[in-house]
Amino acid sequence: MLEQELKKIWKNSSKTAQISIETDALVQEFRTKMTHIQKKIKNRDRREIAAAIIGILIFSFLAYEIPFPITKASCFLSILWFLYVIYKFTKSNQQNTPEKLSVPLTAQLTHKKQLLQQQVKLLNSAAYWYAGSSFITNFIFIYGLKNPADYNWANQLAEKLLPLTTTTKIFTLIGLFFMYAFIAWANKRAVKKELQPILKYIAVIQQQLHSSN
Amino acid sequence: MGTSPIIFEQLLQENTSKIYRICRVYAADPIEPQDLFQEVIFQIWKSLPNFKGKSSIDTWVYRIALNVCLRAKIKLDKSNQKTARFDAIHFTPVTEAVDPFEEEKFAYLKECIATLNESDTSLIVLYLDELSYKEIAEITGLTENNIAVKMKRIRKKLFECITPKMN
Repeated sequence: MLEQELKKIWKNSSKTAQISIETDALVQEFRTKMTHIQKKIKNRDRREIAAAIIGILIFSFLAYEIPFPITKASCFLSILWFLYVIYKFTKSNQQNTPEKLSVPLTAQLTHKKQLLQQQVKLLNSAAYWYAGSSFITNFIFIYGLKNPADYNWANQLAEKLLPLTTTTKIFTLIGLFFMYAFIAWANKRAVKKELQPILKYIAVIQQQLHSSN
Repeated sequence: MGTSPIIFEQLLQENTSKIYRICRVYAADPIEPQDLFQEVIFQIWKSLPNFKGKSSIDTWVYRIALNVCLRAKIKLDKSNQKTARFDAIHFTPVTEAVDPFEEEKFAYLKECIATLNESDTSLIVLYLDELSYKEIAEITGLTENNIAVKMKRIRKKLFECITPKMN
């Protein structure tokens, strides 16, 4: 009796609102939304790749212009690093498959968990592949800077911008160290504060679903 | 998008009420049932070209509705926090036709469903919609036996919660 009553209450619960849909107009709105989303994703991808390409151009120019051998070598390392960043972003974007919302609940949770775990792996490893390797190339770059006069090199702008004295080298390296340490910390924090709680929540739901009662 | 407008329109006509019922249960501040409803409809429209007919269309709609609602509940979708409303969907509250006692009873039911965990909530909303265990199994990915065992416990819990309130 109660069961039938509950089902009746449940079925009547949608009667509180009259929902009318203009299908043609709605489809048009959906298309606009889709275009907007696709544009946003494309622009984000383009920005990431463009930043890496700009980096490659700058370091190519520096490698050509700067006469100091160690600094020159670090420029080539930086170029390799930027190429690796492009590869990493492209791979990560390929792995970010769209959500499968029409699959059973259990499969959807498993799929979402896998996507989140990939993100966790990427962010956790950023301390090494992003911050760590950048700092090493920057360190070599700065360490290799010598007295321009010894190499008969005259470039006023470069002399103003590059840390050529021991003191400026030390201060620049300390600044860079803290900057990259902050980036690594921010990534780890995002994993801890944003992704891990969701992963735990998913694990709890999965456990509830698969428990025998 | 290769979605046929006629199929989509028919789908909306047949499923609006059941989608809205599920959205009402899962909506929690700041997300309103309308926000969830339009997200479900959007996802249905997006996924429709990929519908292969391996399951019934009803099962398929329930899957999307549940997955979207659960995703919003566990805050998986950051873009779904508070989205702009689509102008082509009109919600008109039906105040005069709604029996206040009926609404009160629904509020009790919602309260009791809220005491259940996520897994049990998804099962009970399908059960209250009078779906068979076989259909629930297709939607959730669980076995019929598992559902039967779970439903026995969930029903008991729900009745224990709601009986004193109804009296």
